[in-house]
Amino acid sequence: MIIRPKDTVKLFGVLIMCACAVLICTLFLNSNIDLARIKDQIHGPEMMMIYDLTVSSGNMTCAVTGGALGLTTVVMLLFYVKHYIDAHKSELGILKALGYSNFEIAREFWVFGLSVFTGTAIGFGLAYAFMPMFYRVQRNDAALPEVAIHFNPILVLYLIVLPTILFSALAILYSYRKLKRPALELVRGSKATKVRKAKPAKKGGADVPFLRELKRNILMSRFSLVFFIWFASFCYAATVIMSFSLKEVGGSEMMAAMMAGIGIVLAITTLFLAATTVISGNAKTIAMLRVFGYSDRECAGAILSGYRPVTYIGFALGTLYQHGLMKLMMALFFDNSVLGLPEYEFDVGVFFIALASFVVIYELFMLVYAGRLRRVPLKEIMLEE
Amino acid sequence: MIEIKNAVKTYGAGDSATSALKGVSLTIKDGEFTVLLGASGSGKSTLLHIASGLERPDEGSVEYDGMDITALGDKLLTAFRREKVGFIFQQYYLLPGLDVDKNVKMGAQLAGNRDYRKIIEDVGLGDKLHKLPSELSGGEQQRASIARALAKRPKVLFLDEPTGALDEETGRQVLDYISALQKELGFSVVMVTHNANIAEMANTVVRMNSGRIIETAVNERQKSAYEIGW
Repeated sequence: MIIRPKDTVKLFGVLIMCACAVLICTLFLNSNIDLARIKDQIHGPEMMMIYDLTVSSGNMTCAVTGGALGLTTVVMLLFYVKHYIDAHKSELGILKALGYSNFEIAREFWVFGLSVFTGTAIGFGLAYAFMPMFYRVQRNDAALPEVAIHFNPILVLYLIVLPTILFSALAILYSYRKLKRPALELVRGSKATKVRKAKPAKKGGADVPFLRELKRNILMSRFSLVFFIWFASFCYAATVIMSFSLKEVGGSEMMAAMMAGIGIVLAITTLFLAATTVISGNAKTIAMLRVFGYSDRECAGAILSGYRPVTYIGFALGTLYQHGLMKLMMALFFDNSVLGLPEYEFDVGVFFIALASFVVIYELFMLVYAGRLRRVPLKEIMLEE
Repeated sequence: MIEIKNAVKTYGAGDSATSALKGVSLTIKDGEFTVLLGASGSGKSTLLHIASGLERPDEGSVEYDGMDITALGDKLLTAFRREKVGFIFQQYYLLPGLDVDKNVKMGAQLAGNRDYRKIIEDVGLGDKLHKLPSELSGGEQQRASIARALAKRPKVLFLDEPTGALDEETGRQVLDYISALQKELGFSVVMVTHNANIAEMANTVVRMNSGRIIETAVNERQKSAYEIGW
């Protein structure tokens, strides 16, 4: 066994993503399946419309949540597999040198799917814990008849078993592709990436401050981290503002709280993952900056502050996204003249509350991680290799 | 002048404690070329790290012209390294995503040195200004790391096995260049090595074993990098 289950502990982000996605999808899909059982009890065009509305908005929530979180989980999982291979190149290279085939090594990466299994199982369990409250609120909101909660085994297959198999297979295939390199290259730990040609500096390049160039280089070196940080702020803005907007147009408080909660958890988890990776991935650079006498403030500025514009662009786009989505949802699913719902309008006050709370969370994160830069052990890093 | 007084350093605790330095005292005069010589585990690298302010001793002091750097807080110690010392390591530790020009600028900017490209020319990398470390040979990478350290205009240059990863020809070139610059600019050099031949280039040779200095010798004549054995 090459990969021990404890290696997958680092897949905490994947676990949280899966739990959130499955929690939402189980609530809505289980409700929709149970609603289908009482469809023949629904009479009248208005009740039928409410029924259709409830089912279709549930399906849309599942598609949006499941799709977005699923795609992010894929990116995150591949990121972890790549990170694992980069960190264990020598050991993997030795196995190849001893005669193990790429597939024999790659198939051990199935254990990365365990985090998906754990996350989806937790999400599924939580969904059943919340189910009575969810049903009660949903029925009150939609004025539909009482529906009994049923356990629908098909959801176990679609939301736990298939994702686990799919993600395990993905981890195996991706690692198989990544392992297609000469054994010696892996043993020596040489770079997996192609040698990127350095661009000649522009005229007067000597005048550009070194720390600014370093900041730009760190930002451009790992696109996945830029994506995660962008995603965290996008997600936070979209879900927190949307939770308020939904409440404004008559949505339930529970739904709003659930959406905001998931947004905050996702944002914090993703920020945690990204910030930890930024520090560990640049440990040698940080150590050298400190050895040469760059101050803690200068190190933090070069390593962390480059992500700030990305973060706030993400927040702005998340705000626009939720605004567009709300407009679309109101136009497609809600006929205000029939249901008497209030008009949706962008709430500037809510935007500023969400922005202020996000600024506090993000800047606190940066402060904590700037402190962690100080604790990068110089001697240990210099004794490596 | 650097004065190390009764430096003690122990790693780990209890049964796994390893005593790296057992009360080492040493004086390094300004402008001297000092070699710390010893086998692996003799404590020479620990002494270099303590002398340069990278690590603090458990006991004892390290004074630069009377200022005890072991008493400095982290911020002041960082400022001390910024102003006084340069480092060259066996593994180069160039920043991988930055080209030679920018790596050297890392050191130059700390000293406000805007003429750092001359140093890059001097180490023979003028035509490799915009090459990444991965596009350079080992010798070229070490020369880039020398340029980076010198661009900082240090008072003391600390070298930890600078030729350890180089072939003989490149190793001699690197040592010759460091020696010539040391004579020209007058900074002090403290070099760690396990190669007794290299010690013949120094003014003072400090032999270490098991965390203690066992001999301090002064060379009558400093040999050049091309006169020593390898």
